[in-house]
Amino acid sequence: MAVSTIYSTQALNSTHFLTSSSSSKQVFLYRRQPQTNRRFNTLITCSQETIVIGLAADSGCGKSTFMRRLTSVFGGAAKPPKGGNPDSNTLISDTTTVICLDDYHSLDRYGRKEQKVTALDPRANDFDLMYEQVKALKSGVAVEKPIYNHVTGLLDAPELIQPPKILVIEGLHPMFDERVRDLLDFSIYLDISNEVKFAWKIQRDMAERGHSLESIKASIEARKPDFDAFIDPQKQYADAVIEVLPTQLIPDDNEGKVLRVRLIMKEGVKYFSPVYLFDEGSTISWIPCGRKLTCSYPGIKFNYEPDSYFDHEVSVLEMDGQFDRLDELIYVESHLSNLSTKFYGEVTQQMLKHADFPGSNNGTGLFQTIVGLKIRDLYEQLIANKATARAEAAKA
Amino acid sequence: MTTIGASGLSVATPRVVVLPAVRVSAPVRLNYPWKLGSMNRMVVVKATSEGGISDKVEKSIQEAKETCADDPVSGECVAAWDEVEELSAAASHARDKKKAGGSDPLEEYCNDNPETDECRTYDN
Repeated sequence: MAVSTIYSTQALNSTHFLTSSSSSKQVFLYRRQPQTNRRFNTLITCSQETIVIGLAADSGCGKSTFMRRLTSVFGGAAKPPKGGNPDSNTLISDTTTVICLDDYHSLDRYGRKEQKVTALDPRANDFDLMYEQVKALKSGVAVEKPIYNHVTGLLDAPELIQPPKILVIEGLHPMFDERVRDLLDFSIYLDISNEVKFAWKIQRDMAERGHSLESIKASIEARKPDFDAFIDPQKQYADAVIEVLPTQLIPDDNEGKVLRVRLIMKEGVKYFSPVYLFDEGSTISWIPCGRKLTCSYPGIKFNYEPDSYFDHEVSVLEMDGQFDRLDELIYVESHLSNLSTKFYGEVTQQMLKHADFPGSNNGTGLFQTIVGLKIRDLYEQLIANKATARAEAAKA
Repeated sequence: MTTIGASGLSVATPRVVVLPAVRVSAPVRLNYPWKLGSMNRMVVVKATSEGGISDKVEKSIQEAKETCADDPVSGECVAAWDEVEELSAAASHARDKKKAGGSDPLEEYCNDNPETDECRTYDN
C-alpha cells in the first residue's frame, strides 16, 4: 500500500486546502491556522476495493441466467451501458459490472475462419490485454475495453469501463491464464454434461430455421476436441463447480427436463465456507418428501458428502429432482446450513423473484442463488478485513 | 463495414498499457488519441435486426455442411461449426431480448427515465 507524505506549504493564504494523492486515492484535508501554527490533518480514505469473480461457462456472455441471478443477489438489475454500443456484451448494475471475455478475442470471426481456429482456442484470445485490464480495474483504474460484436462478428470501438465494487468476468477462459487466475478472488465453473448440453441446445436451436437434429449434433461434436483441450481443464482451478447431469430418479430419461445438479465446493478457500446438510464433513442422503411434505413425481433427493476432486478436498451438495411449490423450497432451505443468508427465507425469496428464469424449479437455480449469496458474503468479509487492516496501519 | 475496416480493427486493436511509473485515475487512453475518433467514424454501430441473424444462421449452417463434406476433421470444418454455434447463440439472445423488452414502449422508457412527468409514481 502506497504511503503519501504530507507537505507543509507556507505561502498560501487560504486556511483550507485539499491535496489529493492519486497513487493511494487518499485525500488529505489541511486546515492551517495562522495564529497558532498548529496543523490539523484529517485523513479521508475513499479507496474502493474491487473483488474479481471469474465464471467459466460455454453458454455465452452477460445475458445468461446465472449472471442475472448473481447481480440480483447483490441488488439492482444489471443492464447494458446506456447510450453505448447496442451490441455491447457488458452488464452494469449499482454494485456489479459483468465483462464478457469474448471482448478479448484477438481474432474476429473472419480472422478465425482464415486461421482455422475456434473461439475456444487460446490463439484467438489476447490474454495479455485481459490481464492488464482486469488488473487495472482491480486497482481502481478505468479502462477502454474492446467490444466483440456477436452479431457482426467484428471487433467494435472500445467502451469505457469504470472500476466497480464487484467485477465479474464471464466467458470461456477466465481461469486459463495463470496471471488472470491469480487476480480472481473467487472462481466458478459451470460444468454441463454432454447429454444435458445436447438437450438444451435442441431446445434452443430447434426454433431456428436452418437447424436440424444433425446440425446441432455436428456442431457440438466439432467443438468437443477444442472444448476438452482448453476449457474443461479449468475445472480444477475453480473454487466452486456446478455440475449439471441427467436425473437418476427417472430411468432412461432423455428429455433433460429433470436435472441432477451437484455443487462441488473447495475446502480451505479464504472467506468461503461451504454449504452443508446436517453436519459438515458427514455423508447424508435425504429425501424431504414424506409425511410433512408431499411432492409430485419424481420428487426431490438430496445428497451431501465430502469428496476429493482433482486432488483437492471438497464438499459436494447434490440435488436431484424438481421443486413444485413454494413450501418445498422453504422447507429445504430451512434444513440447509451455512447459506450466508441475511434473513430466513432469503434463498426462497430470490428464487421466487426470478420464477420465470430457466432452472428456477431445480438445483441449477437453487445452487446459482446460493453461490450468489456466498459471493456477497465473501465481498463483505473482504471489505471488513481490509477496513480493519487499514485502521490498524493508521494507528501504527 | 468493409473488410478493410475489419482487418484494420482486428490488427490494430487498441492495446491498453498501464505504465507503472505513471499513476493516473483517469481512463487509460490510446497512444494515438486522434485515431479513436477515426475508428468511430469507420464503424457503423447499430443493432442488427432479428431477421438478419436468422438468415446468417441458416447461411452458416449451409457453409459448414459444405466445408465438412470434404474433410470432417479439418480446422476449417471445426471453425465453421463454431461459427454456427456462435450465431445460434446470438439468435437465441436476440429472440429473448425481443420477447422480454418489446412489449411496452412506455415501460421501457420509464425504466430509463423514472423522473420524467409521464413516469412519476406517487406511493403515499
